[in-house]
Amino acid sequence: MTVKKRLLGWLADAALVLYFVFALFPIAWMVILSLKPTNELFSTYFSFSPTLDGYRTVLGDSEGIPFVRFFVNSLVVSVGAVVLSLLVGLPAAYASARWRFKGSENLMFTLLSFRFAPELTVIIPLFVLYQKLGLFDTYVGMVWVLQLVTLPLIVWIMRSYFADLTPELEQAALLDGYTRKQAFVRVALPLVKPGVAAVSLLAFIFAWNNFVFPLILTSNEAQTVTVGALSFLGGDRPKYNLTAAAALVSVVPPLLLALTIQRYLVRGLSFGAVKS
Amino acid sequence: MIRLSGIRKTYGKVTALDGLELDVREGEFFCLLGPSGAGKTTTLKTIAGLEIPDAGTVELDGEDMRGVEPYDRGVAMCFESYALYPHKSAYDNLASPLRSPRHRLPADRARERIGEVAELLGISALLDRPVGRLSNGQRQRVALGRVLVRPARAFLLDEPLSHLDAKLRQQMRAELKAIGAVRRTTTLYVTHDSVEALALGDRIGVIRDGRIVQTGTREEIWYRPHDTEVARAFGRPRINLLPGAIAPDGSFRSADGKVELPMRADAAPGTEVLVGVRPRDIELNGRGHELTGTVYVTEVLGRSVEVTVRLGEQHVSLVAPRGGATGLRPDDPVRLSVRPENLLLFEADRPERPGRRIDHD
Amino acid sequence: MRLALRPYLLIIPALLLTCGILYPFGLGLYYTLFDFSASKPQPDMVRFENYETVFTQDAFWNSAWVTVLYAVGAAAVETVLGVAVALLLHRSSLVGRVLEKILILPLMIAPVIAAIIWKLMLQPSVGVVNYLLRPFGLGGVQWTDTPTGALLSSIAVDVWVYTPFVAILALAGLRSLPTSPFEAAAVDGAGWWYTFRRLTLPMLWPYVLVAVIFRFMDSLKVFDIIYALTEGGPGDSTVVLQIRAYLEAIRFQRYSFGISYTIVLWAVVYLAAMVLVKHLGKIQRKAAEVK
Repeated sequence: MTVKKRLLGWLADAALVLYFVFALFPIAWMVILSLKPTNELFSTYFSFSPTLDGYRTVLGDSEGIPFVRFFVNSLVVSVGAVVLSLLVGLPAAYASARWRFKGSENLMFTLLSFRFAPELTVIIPLFVLYQKLGLFDTYVGMVWVLQLVTLPLIVWIMRSYFADLTPELEQAALLDGYTRKQAFVRVALPLVKPGVAAVSLLAFIFAWNNFVFPLILTSNEAQTVTVGALSFLGGDRPKYNLTAAAALVSVVPPLLLALTIQRYLVRGLSFGAVKS
Repeated sequence: MIRLSGIRKTYGKVTALDGLELDVREGEFFCLLGPSGAGKTTTLKTIAGLEIPDAGTVELDGEDMRGVEPYDRGVAMCFESYALYPHKSAYDNLASPLRSPRHRLPADRARERIGEVAELLGISALLDRPVGRLSNGQRQRVALGRVLVRPARAFLLDEPLSHLDAKLRQQMRAELKAIGAVRRTTTLYVTHDSVEALALGDRIGVIRDGRIVQTGTREEIWYRPHDTEVARAFGRPRINLLPGAIAPDGSFRSADGKVELPMRADAAPGTEVLVGVRPRDIELNGRGHELTGTVYVTEVLGRSVEVTVRLGEQHVSLVAPRGGATGLRPDDPVRLSVRPENLLLFEADRPERPGRRIDHD
Repeated sequence: MRLALRPYLLIIPALLLTCGILYPFGLGLYYTLFDFSASKPQPDMVRFENYETVFTQDAFWNSAWVTVLYAVGAAAVETVLGVAVALLLHRSSLVGRVLEKILILPLMIAPVIAAIIWKLMLQPSVGVVNYLLRPFGLGGVQWTDTPTGALLSSIAVDVWVYTPFVAILALAGLRSLPTSPFEAAAVDGAGWWYTFRRLTLPMLWPYVLVAVIFRFMDSLKVFDIIYALTEGGPGDSTVVLQIRAYLEAIRFQRYSFGISYTIVLWAVVYLAAMVLVKHLGKIQRKAAEVK
């Protein structure tokens, strides 16, 4: 019995390892590829003389692709989108968690439907509209359209955090002599702070990872890393090492952030439908 | 002084308060008693301004509270859930009112005041702990402390002892009324425990389905209950209620014809009624009206014995001192006696409402 | 401030912003009634002609079919694989505890970057996948250059990115299951398979279904992965609906017609959501009974 159990345990671990090889090998391969010198690109697989030239080229804006600017653009529009969503979304999430009122459910449902709407339904009209308004290829234009990604996430998840918080805490603060605003700032907000932090980071990651908005609504000035990384694939000679280096550089921020918010991911990814 | 008149509050289709009238006098300790869902917490929150009634008026010290925000009403409330701030220490919880714009004290005066209250409640040693690391009893004291620490027009206490174990509850009950601030301040105390209400209340209000059924001193509630349900709510074992009718001479005759109690009831002959006697008001072989029956079962309750007696088709229970009931076996014949002044008479219960008390002599 | 007004004041900014997003949506809906394109900036009203064209085009039905194949295939594989990974991680072996910490990595990589990574790996002549398969005599697979291969490759990338999503939700579900039914089953001597079928699966299903709903609806509107991996090719073999809409509206600049495609897709997603969410409610009630 125990031998059989042990054997099954090993098998299970082996199966897990197999899956994680599948999951991690592509990332590892990117690292390898990004370290290859151009002349060994197609002649070697695992043994080669590693070099950081690929990164130097990508971050040195050679090849006519201003990757550093794309990186900064990603940072600016993602942070901008998250900050705007927080400013606008936190009060809305709080209101709809605390009071049942006409319009609140409609708003929540509309926001949820954004999460599942095909992006092009909105982007194609915006493509036309932005050119008229001069918002094409601008930060403002990107921050606006990224609300489609960040606002539903922040409102839904923050609502679930506020709803978990008994209103009696804020009521106690009112009776202690605080105004409603003070009760919110001194009692409710500190208690949901970890949630706010986690959902902001998650929204940042999704904004950062977005591809279709910058693909269609930017051309150069406001273009982001996701579109930028793809442009290394273009041209006559495929520059695999540069593509890999660009891809890796562009996934570093989301990966680092994701590892810090593991605990909160379940609620975030499921829009508050599953709590851990 | 708290006065509620004609308060209505509905949540969707559910009516929480249905024309509630309540008058709590200055400085009094008033107990509001009722089962869960009767509207007790809603009543407190309406007074505090945390719930806005659909109709009716709330007055504090004669001032209409319409449109007055909770923080301007000057009442302090202890929530059933305690509602302590989980991210703060016990000290900071107690200090919260004293740091607010309404009740602000200079830091050193605040420290002094918190020290006094903590001393009073026996929590001085716990002040540095985060509330998450306090026991239920300790949390309850901190919650009470947060109420007592600042001056208030009225204290609103929502089942403050309900989550405590029996021993601690009894101890706190005794302490609570002895606290100076509680003695001086108008206090509305909500509970579902009739023993607590009888022990604490200068006056008691019985609430049911969002209305006050009866208000009175404990004697009034005990000896002149408004209806059978109020009578049933107080006293354990519960009051005996025998069904029967009023005979042409005004006396009571039980439905099975086995029990007759001479009296002059304030009701028409033939009226269906219930006669009520509390178990402690029935004696074995005592004075008063005599009834005979047979022992059904006995149960020892410490120094006394609860005896259930078969009386015709009815069972009545009585509590006798242990000495007087020793040796009673099932089916032994017994003679019971009830003094006429201990008899209560009620209309028969109807589906829509419990039977009201009827006067008699 | 009047009490009744307060919540409205708090949601006004969000309402305005929402309108800012609804506006282009409404504008798009309006455009579909015209023949607006780059070559015709002063469009004429054509009523429902765009939709008629959409529904009578073979290209639409081909795209719809590819989209459904993709969504069903990806969601099915991700569900099975994700639940399996969750069950294996739930055992909490030493290996599992270490690997769990990095489970989310593929999920946090932008799908388009994931597709780029796989595109490099699947390159037929110099890609590492064929290199690794060479010892098995499979060195020359034309991954993304055959219609079936392209579809399967795209699904594989989707699976690579999103299996952790299902696994994370399923694992959260497993960890929140009550222990008493399992203890009772163990006392009764129930076998592993019986316990799994009769207890684990019914109670876990609501969690898995949340994941399935998200994955199915998201893969109906897949864009990034296909755009980077195959651009819809070879031929029309991986032209899912959003790619078709992109080609029509942005490549060929037939705005009205392209938007019509996305509106149809939007309707499909919406219907799928209604059906699935209703089903979820039923399943959740059933799971509550098992508990």
